[in-house]
Amino acid sequence: MDAFLYQGLVGVSLAMYLWLISAGLTIVFGVLGVLNFAHGSLFMLGAYLAYTFYGPAELPFAVSVLAAVAVVAVVGLVMEHFFLRHLYAVDVAYQLLLTFGFVLVFDDLVKILWGGVFRIPPIPRFLDGAWTVFGRPFPIYNAFVIAVGLTVGAALWLLFERTWWGRTVRATASDRDMAGALGVRVPRVFSAVFMFGAALAALGGALGTPVRVVAPGIGGAMIIQAFIITVIGGLGNLKGAFIGSLIVGILSAYGTLFFPVFELFFIFVIMAAVLLVRPQGLFGTAR
Amino acid sequence: MRRTRWVCVGLWGTALLLAIAPQAGSAPATCQLGVPAIRLGVQGVASGPHADYGRQIQMGAVMAIEEINARGGVLGCRLEMRFMDDENRPATGVRNARLLVTEYGAHFLYGTDSSGVAMALGPVLKELDRIQFFTHAATHRLTEELVAQQGIRQIVRVSAPVYQDAIAAWVFKDNPQIRRWATIGADYEYGYATWALFRDAMRRFRPDVEFVGAAWAPFLTTDFSPHISAVMAQNPDGIIATPWAGEAVTLLRQAVLMGVFDRVQVWFQAMGGSVDVLEGIAREVQEDRFKGKLWATARYIHNWPDTQTNRAFVERFERRWARLPNYSAETTYSAIQITKAAVERSRSLQTDRVIAALRGMQIVTPAGLRVFREQDQQFVYTVPAGRVVWSARHNMPILGDLRVVSAREYWRSPPFTPLQVGR
Repeated sequence: MDAFLYQGLVGVSLAMYLWLISAGLTIVFGVLGVLNFAHGSLFMLGAYLAYTFYGPAELPFAVSVLAAVAVVAVVGLVMEHFFLRHLYAVDVAYQLLLTFGFVLVFDDLVKILWGGVFRIPPIPRFLDGAWTVFGRPFPIYNAFVIAVGLTVGAALWLLFERTWWGRTVRATASDRDMAGALGVRVPRVFSAVFMFGAALAALGGALGTPVRVVAPGIGGAMIIQAFIITVIGGLGNLKGAFIGSLIVGILSAYGTLFFPVFELFFIFVIMAAVLLVRPQGLFGTAR
Repeated sequence: MRRTRWVCVGLWGTALLLAIAPQAGSAPATCQLGVPAIRLGVQGVASGPHADYGRQIQMGAVMAIEEINARGGVLGCRLEMRFMDDENRPATGVRNARLLVTEYGAHFLYGTDSSGVAMALGPVLKELDRIQFFTHAATHRLTEELVAQQGIRQIVRVSAPVYQDAIAAWVFKDNPQIRRWATIGADYEYGYATWALFRDAMRRFRPDVEFVGAAWAPFLTTDFSPHISAVMAQNPDGIIATPWAGEAVTLLRQAVLMGVFDRVQVWFQAMGGSVDVLEGIAREVQEDRFKGKLWATARYIHNWPDTQTNRAFVERFERRWARLPNYSAETTYSAIQITKAAVERSRSLQTDRVIAALRGMQIVTPAGLRVFREQDQQFVYTVPAGRVVWSARHNMPILGDLRVVSAREYWRSPPFTPLQVGR
């Protein structure tokens, strides 16, 4: 029983990384209607920047993470303001092509700036070590990631449900023309939301830095899982992204324990089943 | 006075030109093979978590070419190379090989890290009729199926194949207290083959051992916690792990955090003797977080054999690149030295004549004596396994407490019986 519960906890920590990256992806899609292929690249950029600030620059870990998040948010602003904004009026295929172009640019950019070789800084001392949970050592770092994931979840809920800005964003997502007619500066909302999505991706990347290597292309692996999660949860739905992350993270962990031969297959079966039964996802609404 | 000054300038200029000409041109007067230069096409993974291997392939190739050219080339012919990133993708590797031969005009090909890329390249090499010296990809099928069975003579392997990864069975067979084994495997043929070879050998030595668990991690896995947790739920005494490069570093560091080294007796990281992995876990080794239980091997380790050839190679490599040579650097370096020997022996660039020149070849390389085995076209040589220890001299971890097992003991030999490989 302990092994079962422990594996579930491991799955929750895995889910929290997935949640951070899929939250930004789904928010951007929900408000701007843009399926951002480059979201994984922003995750990667966050990881590289956090590595640079925390490793070679030797800044405190928290400062490094926040600085990486801030820089990537600005990168997101540049992407939206100077590039994506000009494509909202044209076919969605152009947006996809543009964001895919960003993937190639960012992949080459990190190779130029940081080289092709992987990087990994030491783990912060205060997060090193383990607690005994269900009779086995559970890394403090994983507990920290779970705490950050849950805090971000609560903060996002408060932000979108309980603040004026959140209501403005939701109104814009619901009907951008009507919101504009009511005085909402829609382009500014779009920029802010894209920045926000980029910052969440960067947070996911930055948090993993001390325990996962940073290398060109790491965003590619994450973005596939994030897409699966948003499909399961419902594109553009934040609650769906959270539940979807938990489903994928926990089932992945149990799949590895009980069905190591079919573990990957498991996740795709669930996605296919959701698409067949409820194409808009578990919490999505038909568009 | 002015004229004298100009004469001096002219003399100095001429002297300078004469001094730099051999380096700049470096081409000896005449190439006896009738080509402007011998062109070498080199590829390996140069991006992503495994990128250091392609980089080391490139460094080994550059160093061999520089040294050979500095000594007059091969039969008076200068060596040139072009390196390409195969991105660990079979399609890219095949495209690169075609480009290197048809566009660049490569006479010989080298490198490649992934077994998947290697298997895709095999039939293409036959079509292009170019020899590729494989310097990392480890799948046994490359030489057992494509060479020994299908007869693709354009494949020559210079690096140790996956047999090397099963050396753990020979190293730990005499430890009766290590009875329960599990694997955290790379989720593709390399991981499956290592586990299959290890189990087969261990069963022969020790009928009492149990194989209690297996978790398979695909390429680009960034969180190994579920795999570690799943395997540890079976209480193994020993773990064989095959994720490599950056993924090996991630796996080992996460295993430390999950307290694995308090519970197992031994962890064998198949290619953990690789320089990039040792650099990545330096802090943990220095702080003894692995508690002396981490063992590894590689396809060459810089501190063995203790020969003049190897010591000089390591010294030159460190001077040239400010890093220790990884195995993919040594194997590529040696492959180019082997090419030189074969071309000089055959006095030809033609595939069949160069292959014929390889027959019976025994060549001293930094990794020791390599002996060409004709049936599967592999160079057989010995690499030890060892415990990962801190080296104050190198200021990084190295393999110590070395266990040398002759390659003849654990390399499979022709005629090959099919190996049952699978998850």
